[in-house]
Amino acid sequence: MRIGIDVGGTHTDAVILDGDTVISTTKALTSADVVSGITDALDTLLKDGGATQDKIKTVMIGTTQFTNAIVQRKELAPVAIVRIALPSGRGMPPMVDWPDDIRSAMGDHVYLLHGGYLYDGYPVADMRDEEVEALIKDLLRKKIKNIAIASAFSPMNAEPEKIVGQKIKAAIPDANITLSHNFGRLGLMERENAAIMNTALLPFADKVVNSFLGALSNRGLTCPAFISQNDGTLMSADFVRAYPALTFASGPTNSLRGAYKLTGLKDAIVVDIGGTTSDIGVLQGGFPRESNVVIEIGGVRTNFRMPDITAVGLGGGSLVTKSGESVGPLSVGHKLVTEGLVFGGDTLTATDVLVASGGADIGDPSKLEGVPKETVTAATKTIHHILDQNIEMMKPGGKDMPVILVGGGAVLVTQGLKAASKLHRPENAWVANAIGAAIAQIGAESERMISYRETSREEAIQVVTRAATQRAIQAGAEASTVQAVDIEETAIPYMDEGATRLRVKVIGDLAAQGSGAAS
Amino acid sequence: MKTIGLEHLDDLALGSVFLATGGGGDPHVPKLIAREAIKKYGPVTVIHPDEIDDDAFVGTVGSVGAPTVSLELLPSIDDASKTLDSFEKYVGRKIDAVASFEIGGGNSLIPLVAAAGKGIPVIDGDGMGRALPEAQMMSYAIAGVKPTPAVAYDYSGNTAVFDVATTEVYERHIRSYSMAAGGMITAAEHPMTGAELKRSVIPGTLSFSVELGRVLRENRGQAGKLLKPLQEIFEPSIYGECRLIFTGKVIDKATRIIGGYDVGEATLEAFDGQGPNLTVNIKNEYLLAKLGDKTAASVPDLITIVDFETGTPINAERLRYGQRVSVFATGCPEFYRSEAALKVVAPRCFGFDIDYIPLEEL
Repeated sequence: MRIGIDVGGTHTDAVILDGDTVISTTKALTSADVVSGITDALDTLLKDGGATQDKIKTVMIGTTQFTNAIVQRKELAPVAIVRIALPSGRGMPPMVDWPDDIRSAMGDHVYLLHGGYLYDGYPVADMRDEEVEALIKDLLRKKIKNIAIASAFSPMNAEPEKIVGQKIKAAIPDANITLSHNFGRLGLMERENAAIMNTALLPFADKVVNSFLGALSNRGLTCPAFISQNDGTLMSADFVRAYPALTFASGPTNSLRGAYKLTGLKDAIVVDIGGTTSDIGVLQGGFPRESNVVIEIGGVRTNFRMPDITAVGLGGGSLVTKSGESVGPLSVGHKLVTEGLVFGGDTLTATDVLVASGGADIGDPSKLEGVPKETVTAATKTIHHILDQNIEMMKPGGKDMPVILVGGGAVLVTQGLKAASKLHRPENAWVANAIGAAIAQIGAESERMISYRETSREEAIQVVTRAATQRAIQAGAEASTVQAVDIEETAIPYMDEGATRLRVKVIGDLAAQGSGAAS
Repeated sequence: MKTIGLEHLDDLALGSVFLATGGGGDPHVPKLIAREAIKKYGPVTVIHPDEIDDDAFVGTVGSVGAPTVSLELLPSIDDASKTLDSFEKYVGRKIDAVASFEIGGGNSLIPLVAAAGKGIPVIDGDGMGRALPEAQMMSYAIAGVKPTPAVAYDYSGNTAVFDVATTEVYERHIRSYSMAAGGMITAAEHPMTGAELKRSVIPGTLSFSVELGRVLRENRGQAGKLLKPLQEIFEPSIYGECRLIFTGKVIDKATRIIGGYDVGEATLEAFDGQGPNLTVNIKNEYLLAKLGDKTAASVPDLITIVDFETGTPINAERLRYGQRVSVFATGCPEFYRSEAALKVVAPRCFGFDIDYIPLEEL
């Protein structure tokens, strides 16, 4: 059996799964310290009697804590940034386009060194020993322990990052170091940004992982623990100590994956209706369709991939006008339980419309006597129309697709949706994100710039797949189960014919011997 | 517009992506380097081509190479001004002002970096009024200004001088040199007099791009609401007509590299699936848009694809399956409708078997 926990901004959802069967579920408010909310969720789950501690083989946790730390500029450690790319990029130092407040949260410890490589493997410049020595001397003098290292074209040749990293580690044995090539993608500034944010989170990551593992062992759970990444796959808890930035925006992914698990539908539209918004995403082959826009975290550009989600201002707390022709985007949010008519408040919300139409039995329906029937009919029509329109926009062209409704607000859909070939309302849809966390596999990716003129396509794919596989095994995957799930080839303009950016994503099952709570 | 300062750079970059019609490269890094240069050297004086003396000496400066490569090979703050230093040394004359190759994309900003570093003005104008894939399509070349002598400068300060017979040969040679020098170099080219500039430049495009960026920023939101403000700025300008020709989602996009260019096609379908699809042909830029079999717009008129939710223009490299977009078509400057210009930029020059019909006659 497995436990899945999703720590969101408002709610902490948790489930126990036995294979594909949901044994028990809980949804509670997220506590300020996060951990007591998790402990409470575990208590509820285990008290339900469906499972005992010894039956639980793994625990999966999805968390927004690291994203929040960046967004709120909290828990960030000072970082030294080492960029190895001179003589290129003079006068354009790291963090040049960061918001001032987060840049100052990192301190201003920037070191530019000669070295790195060009796209064709030719060195940008030879590395200089005296620069590395001066760097280490300065780090020792300033007593900086958290260091991010990025070199030009490190996804293709990481030697410069590794060499400097080893030398620093030799001089400062307790240094926390992030090498940017571990974030894979091309784009020096974005990769460097990811490495800097990751490094700033390293001390906090230790704290978070310790508190997670502490909460688990407190409740007698000694099985391995894993944490969700932004692409819906897992890392072992210990891996998170080194790569906390990989957890950014894992929430929407977990809800999409949970919807897949609950229905078995690999290709579908998922509508997650909450209190304020409906998040609409697309499942492709069982995984979220990814967005291609530049993703900013806390105002900093990154090259992380996030699911393609359209957020519509429609949820259980959405304000409804008298005519019923307009619903949302304004919402009473979590104040629904005091401000909604059925709860004794004086604001007409989508939930009131639902109750008035007989679609649900919530609160006190007698408070709805003053709401005209026409308003209810019109508002119900508006809600369905808004969803239909937005689903049409997200739907891949020319295809009939089923729609899966998840989230607490899914009850708002009382009639059919024209945009859906079939409407699915799976059981336990209200904790879809926790289920998504519980079923996740281990994933990893790797990227290179390759010329198909020099390397055959087959060989190139093999090389990149091997690198990604290596990374997946490191993150806790069972080697024999790892397979490529996505191969993305992007031709590069103004270069030789055959010049291609090749990215391979692999996924594998959890290895039986994880490296989690056991320590 | 008298000067360009830090406060104009975001708008300039945003406007330049709209005018880049899918090509031109992401201006993010050029914008950052321009920002650092203006911080260090101060705002740049802008002069309209009409204000320049006939016997003044003008050059053009910009980056040449593969934008994808520049994701790793970052520019330096003094690359562009040092390119002009070498250029002056070679031609034996001081440059009075510097102009842009193309206003579409990153090369709208590189002349500012050079001008700031050199303390000279930048010309309010460029050599395309948009982005186009080849050097012989520049208005300078069409008006008979030779691209060379030209100087190329790489990331570590190596320079190369070009003195060639034709623009086509120059294009070939400088691209090879750029690949040998890490995939991205800075070039100074098209030495010309003020009089030559006046008959070969597309005037006013630098200040127009700043204004266009401002309009896009102030009207950020669903693309349908953009049409009116866009028409208000385009119609009185050298571009003229502006139309919203399609809104829908990308249901197919396939491109591959042919001769160094990203060539292919995207297919768009209306959100409700009704009516004919829009196909957009791509060769680095969006060149031809057809609604069913009917041409909706073609090069040299401008075709721009923007994100449906935000109105942000989308580069062809970033256009992907599933994206929700709106497509705008805009007239091109009169210069590009002349016989001499259409010889190199008509649809047939890009392999499309149709005559050019101006947008407003379609």
